[in-house]
Amino acid sequence: MSAQPRTLSRDFPGTIEAASDAECWLASQSGALGLAEDTEFAINLCLEELFLNAVRHGRANRARISISAEPDAVRVEFVDDGEAFDPSAAQPRRISGPTEDFQIGGYGTGLVQRFSRRMSYRRTEGMNRLVLEFDAGQEGDPRPEALRTA
Amino acid sequence: MLDGARMDMNVTETADGITHVVLDGRFDIAGAQEVDSRFGPLAERSKALIVDLTKVSFIASLGVRTLMMSAKTLIRRGADMAVCGANDNVEKVLRSTGFNEVAWIYPDFASAESALASRAADFASRKG
Repeated sequence: MSAQPRTLSRDFPGTIEAASDAECWLASQSGALGLAEDTEFAINLCLEELFLNAVRHGRANRARISISAEPDAVRVEFVDDGEAFDPSAAQPRRISGPTEDFQIGGYGTGLVQRFSRRMSYRRTEGMNRLVLEFDAGQEGDPRPEALRTA
Repeated sequence: MLDGARMDMNVTETADGITHVVLDGRFDIAGAQEVDSRFGPLAERSKALIVDLTKVSFIASLGVRTLMMSAKTLIRRGADMAVCGANDNVEKVLRSTGFNEVAWIYPDFASAESALASRAADFASRKG
């Protein structure tokens, strides 16, 4: 029997604090999803940056996160009702060379690009829909214990 | 780490006059908000600043922002900043933003202290 993908979804309010709630939610589900430590770090990082962008810059009121653990990848969909913004098309910011004249902020989108292996974006029905793909990096059988069969 | 806190911050000064900041926790939105205001005064008065990230399990852009603000202040004052002890993922975040272009990254506190003390001595002798 091949492992079935397991998908979890949850709605969050459009607040900065919701990023911490999402982090706690992911931590509580990480075992069930079989996420490796590096994958969980990358997903947490990307979700925090996406919440910051959606709430601070896009003025989003709500967001939905769906996580699907599949044999070849972990896919995370982040949907928000903020202003249209495609992070996959944004120019990443990075300090280049020793200087005292550097920007203090604006590095979040570059981190999302760097820590996910693939991004796809579309705008439909007034919603930003971003799908991020991560290395599966699963620890053991990705299915929860109750779904495992001998 | 303190109960209920996202980030604990302990500050000491070495015999060489280097300010040693030890962070413990998650340097995420909440963690950065907890320690951000304490970094400004340190960056304004420190001869050199080492931020020990050994006990930091996570960092995101707001945590990097806090470190960058200190680095900018220290550079303008002609002082040095280093971080040490970062785990692989934390270091990858720092390098992805280019933070390593404006501050030093060392594997542990001993190597960071040795390097910054040596540079401070060189700087003092050139000025003298």
